[in-house]
Amino acid sequence: MWRLLLLLVGTAQAEDLLYLYNWNNYIADQTIERFEAECACHVVQDYYSDNEEMLAKLAAGATGYDLVIPTGNATESLIRQHALRPLDKRLLPDLKNIDAAYMNTVFDPGNQYSVPYAYTLTLIGYNPNKIRELGLPVDSWAVIFEPRYLEKIKGRVTVLDSQRELLAAALKYLGYSANDTEEAHWKQARDLIIRAKPYWAAFNASSYIKELAAGNIWLVHGYSSDIYQADQDAQTSGRAFRIKAILPREGAVLALDSMVLHKSGRRPDLAHRFINFMLDGKNSAELTNLIGSGNPNRRALPHIRPEIAQNPAIFPASGEKLEMLKDLDRHQRRILSRIWIEIKLR
Amino acid sequence: MTERCREKYLVAGPPFLFLLLMLAVPCVITLIASMSYPGEFGGLAPFISKDTHALHGLTLETYLFFFSDFIYTEIFIKSILMAAGTTLICLMMAYPVALLIARSPKKRRNMLVLLVILPFASNFLIRIYAWMIILGPQSALSRLVNGILHMFGQAPVHLLFSSAAVLTALVYVHLPFMVLPLYTNLEKHDPALLDAAQDLGANAWQRFCQVTFPLSLPGVFAGSALVFIPVLGVFAIPEILGGTGDMMIGNLIKEQFLVARDWPFGATLSVMLTTILLLIAWLTSKAGAIHA
Repeated sequence: MWRLLLLLVGTAQAEDLLYLYNWNNYIADQTIERFEAECACHVVQDYYSDNEEMLAKLAAGATGYDLVIPTGNATESLIRQHALRPLDKRLLPDLKNIDAAYMNTVFDPGNQYSVPYAYTLTLIGYNPNKIRELGLPVDSWAVIFEPRYLEKIKGRVTVLDSQRELLAAALKYLGYSANDTEEAHWKQARDLIIRAKPYWAAFNASSYIKELAAGNIWLVHGYSSDIYQADQDAQTSGRAFRIKAILPREGAVLALDSMVLHKSGRRPDLAHRFINFMLDGKNSAELTNLIGSGNPNRRALPHIRPEIAQNPAIFPASGEKLEMLKDLDRHQRRILSRIWIEIKLR
Repeated sequence: MTERCREKYLVAGPPFLFLLLMLAVPCVITLIASMSYPGEFGGLAPFISKDTHALHGLTLETYLFFFSDFIYTEIFIKSILMAAGTTLICLMMAYPVALLIARSPKKRRNMLVLLVILPFASNFLIRIYAWMIILGPQSALSRLVNGILHMFGQAPVHLLFSSAAVLTALVYVHLPFMVLPLYTNLEKHDPALLDAAQDLGANAWQRFCQVTFPLSLPGVFAGSALVFIPVLGVFAIPEILGGTGDMMIGNLIKEQFLVARDWPFGATLSVMLTTILLLIAWLTSKAGAIHA
């Protein structure tokens, strides 16, 4: 009888479930498998492909997620909506592994709710063979926005199909902060974008990876991890060129994704275990080696492949002008949407 | 109330009530949402708030915003033109098909109708993605078109991500909605009428213009409404196949909810769209009634 009961308890534990709401392809399979073995639980993942999608789904009442991995501005929004559960730092002894530069952000002072997971930069990706041939400077956003450069590569350039990212790049080029909300500056950025638009092949969110690797597109405004992916693809398909990324001297956007506990989660205990597990250098490095994302974990560096760890477009030198995007208020969101429509239609 | 009358209500009542609820309730919710303030993080600001400084209550600010700026009206006009173009092309393509089916031997008609609706057997999105391949730069069609253009010394064109690609897919998807009502109408025509016209000396073209086409007008109106109305609200097709300028009302509404998190303005755009559609549906039913 007792043995039967123990057996029942045993199976109940084996069916402990951790619900993780994560970005597409944002954790290595072997990491998940090791965590499952370690905690004798099962990780159930749901995926999103942008923050707005995740916020919209949670706002519409999706529940049951123990962990979410939002970007800074979305983290801030979730905190202010009181949607998150404060962390119990006694359960996170390895929090000390995180580089202080990524702690205590404006989104979550004191890291009451969030633990840095990984980051990406929004920068310039290019095909060095073609760009060198044409003699274009790629160390400035000018190459994306100035017709005098663009006319040499008309139709071979794509920019991100993201209101905030494209505006941020234009603002940076104009010498403003990526978080500038002055309407006059936004209009300047809009005019800059509209002037450059005829030279761009597309506003693109994902297929630019493929196009870069295939050699159809030579210059992109894109995410560091996507550009890394394009380089990998170009190598595996035996292309005669590589794909490089560069941080423009005017600065760029840094998107820091953090692990947070959603209030509706039923297993904060497992969620804390998962966070501490991911704070381990080796586990954290697996993600970096998989997708070429930046890693805020100091202990991860020895486990990261050198060509990634030494790439300044993935691990930027300190002192670069990097900014994290802040959430916009409702009025600003409406004005930006209005400007975006004008950009698309003109 | 007689027994039969009560029976009628018992049978027709529940579905009618269902339709009414599913139409009226969402419309009222949309209308109220359109007159709210946007919430700080998306959604709607509360109607009642203890904090008097916080935005709350009802307002017409989204409507003022809509009309203060021509760009939104411009998108509406562009979408209406796109829908009208799709409807016209569908009509011109569907009419001969419907006529052919209606005039073919009775045994074969059902088979032919089945062929018209066969594309519905595969998923809508898959059919749209298939057009991406057909129109893509490496496709046989693209190469053929650009090869011909090259012979005449013209610059190559991109078929994909263009208004033409959107229009092509819109016609492709909605063609059956035009064929079916036209066929249903044409099938009922009495062939004796055409014989009579012929006996009176009308040639084939006159018979079509003066007998078949006028009689088929209710079918034309029904088919046009079935094509025009969904096309005006479509968002997936311009999103997948359109270029940057091919934004339609549907895309604009989607963007307000999912990107700008501006529910009241999204609701306002939806109210505008519904109003236009109801107006058009009413006009077509009027026009249909005159010719019925």
